[in-house]
Amino acid sequence: MGFEILKIMIKEEWRLHTSLFGKRMFALFPIMIGIGAFIASLFLPYIKTIMTTQQMVQSAHYIFILFGVSIGSFGLAGKEIMNRRFGQASLVAYSSRSLPVSERTIFLNFLIKDIIYYVILWILPIIFGLVIATLFIKINTISMLLVCGTLILSFLIGLSIVFFLSTLYAHSIKLLIAFLTMGLVAILILINFYSIGITNILLPYSIYYNPSVTKLLLIMILIFVPSILSLIFLKIDYPEKKRQYKNSLMDLSFKFKFSQHSYYIAKDFLDLKRSEGGLGKIIFSFLFPIGLTWLFLYIFLELIPTVKAIMIFAVFLGIVSASIYNMLTAFDTFNPYMFLPVKVSTIIKSKIISYLIVSIFSFIILVLVAISLNQLEWFIPALLSFITISFYSLSMTIYFAGLHPTILFYNSKIFAQYICTVSPILFVFTIASILNPYIMLASPVLLIPALFVLKKSYKKWDKWKPLSI
Amino acid sequence: MSVIKINNLTKEFGELTAVDNVTLSIEKGQLFGLLGPNGSGKTTMIKMLTGQLKPTNGTAKILDIDVLDDPIKVRTKVGIIPEQETPPSFLTAQEYLEFVGSIRKLSNIKKLSEKWFKMLDFEDQKNALCKDLSRGTRQKLMVAQAFLHEPQIAFIDEPLINLDPIIQRTLKDFLLDYIKKGNTVFFSTHVLEIAEEICTQIGIIDKGKLLHKGSITELKNKRQHLEDFFLKLVKEG
Repeated sequence: MGFEILKIMIKEEWRLHTSLFGKRMFALFPIMIGIGAFIASLFLPYIKTIMTTQQMVQSAHYIFILFGVSIGSFGLAGKEIMNRRFGQASLVAYSSRSLPVSERTIFLNFLIKDIIYYVILWILPIIFGLVIATLFIKINTISMLLVCGTLILSFLIGLSIVFFLSTLYAHSIKLLIAFLTMGLVAILILINFYSIGITNILLPYSIYYNPSVTKLLLIMILIFVPSILSLIFLKIDYPEKKRQYKNSLMDLSFKFKFSQHSYYIAKDFLDLKRSEGGLGKIIFSFLFPIGLTWLFLYIFLELIPTVKAIMIFAVFLGIVSASIYNMLTAFDTFNPYMFLPVKVSTIIKSKIISYLIVSIFSFIILVLVAISLNQLEWFIPALLSFITISFYSLSMTIYFAGLHPTILFYNSKIFAQYICTVSPILFVFTIASILNPYIMLASPVLLIPALFVLKKSYKKWDKWKPLSI
Repeated sequence: MSVIKINNLTKEFGELTAVDNVTLSIEKGQLFGLLGPNGSGKTTMIKMLTGQLKPTNGTAKILDIDVLDDPIKVRTKVGIIPEQETPPSFLTAQEYLEFVGSIRKLSNIKKLSEKWFKMLDFEDQKNALCKDLSRGTRQKLMVAQAFLHEPQIAFIDEPLINLDPIIQRTLKDFLLDYIKKGNTVFFSTHVLEIAEEICTQIGIIDKGKLLHKGSITELKNKRQHLEDFFLKLVKEG
């Protein structure tokens, strides 16, 4: 069968996206990412004044590992994501049911297909933007190309490791904890007893400055061995292993009695709890954006040392915490509600409440960061700033993408509209936070247009025909 | 008294006309079977009548409620068993019925759902997640959710698909009893034997056009077999 399955899966993924919002809009998405990377790269000379090149390269490697981890977390949900994305459609991913092809082969092809897609949609455009930018700034193009190569290796390591961890998790959570503990101990031993620096453990970064065949071999081992082991020990849920669950919808719903949408909220939490990865998925999906936030914070602190770090962190946390909404909508299409007396706006309203409840995670993070930075005196303006921008970006997400942010943000027009409405606010909030944190006490004013947009969103999505694949 | 009134209903998907200018009315207490080959427009018709799909042209009234004006009110009053949709993955069968019951604001959900678990013989599956249920059990669950609130009209798309012969018999008997109580059923199928056995009225649709509407008794009186009649009509187009 060779690469036939892979080729068909790639064709299918292309048709799936292009049928949803047109070939041009989907094809423009990587171009937009490339342009974004290009514009961001133009600021590199300024960042170079506050960070050494080595620090920049190291940070970029961390980001790409986290990016791989974030993308690879689909391994945590595995078949559930396939189910969610493909619904009841008879796609190639389900061929093992009717054709003589094993689920392992199908999953391998699915994995390769997703890697190819993410590389084409995200990684290559970012690299392209970075390399083109070197023509306009004083950075050597060859060095940039080499960094890009090692960044791809970091991305693949992140992907491979999380795939392996998810396989361990599928077998036993104890096994996963034991492995993580052993890994941590091994790293600590390497650092403390063998004096191997953390930069050497970050092999793709290390190979950039000190290339060696041994390091390249170790990188290949890190990429291929966990992936191969995961495929060998891939665990697939067969129906005979189905579990019985205690009836808990109504009990949980009672806890959310303060809302008229209590049973929808209860359902959201049961979806998160019972799907693979549990509530951990939310924390997982947070790693990458929070990592990015820390990097921005680091840059800002170096750039303007007088800045109140907690203020900047709150602004970025507000933006990234909107991604919780994506996770809440990931397990719920509108199709199962279409034959019930339910409006799209009702589901959206219930998701907003679920979002506010889960946002307690973000609140805790904000409190911890304020304590660790010893900036509790700025906590109130930071909190108001976080709440406002988080709710504003949530309302924009809902207006532009409704219940389908993970799908519709691949429509370049929708993504551009979102960026255009959120980034000016992000810019204004950042500048205001730097100038005088107390200005942010007035930030809740932005909640008025956010509520207005939400109201318009309800009307918009109630008229809209739900996506069907 | 007509409980379903359809006037010049049309649905176009680009150049394809899925339902073509259909006018039809169905009286209270009828078990109406919409028969047609695959892709003839049966599912599109049900989706338009229940406000899941907006017609390109024409109107439809269910229990005197205009579907275009108030689809939610229509879906509050009727029960729907869709052809393909499945219940949400991570609720148990029992929880799903409780969920639907909460949406429909029913007060004695537990008792009502127990009745359906018993009647369709899947009590042992009520604590399993919907995603783990067999297709047949999911279909039973979809039947239960549609009738949980004891609606006056039920729209059913391919009702007996995936069900074993014992449950098929149970459901057929239930539907016959249901219309005796003055309720109405609108169902689509391409299985002619089922239509011949339980329908009081039939409509034959092909390529979106309603080719025939009449009672089963009429056909029986003419000593005409539904299968022969159907094949002749569809072939003549």
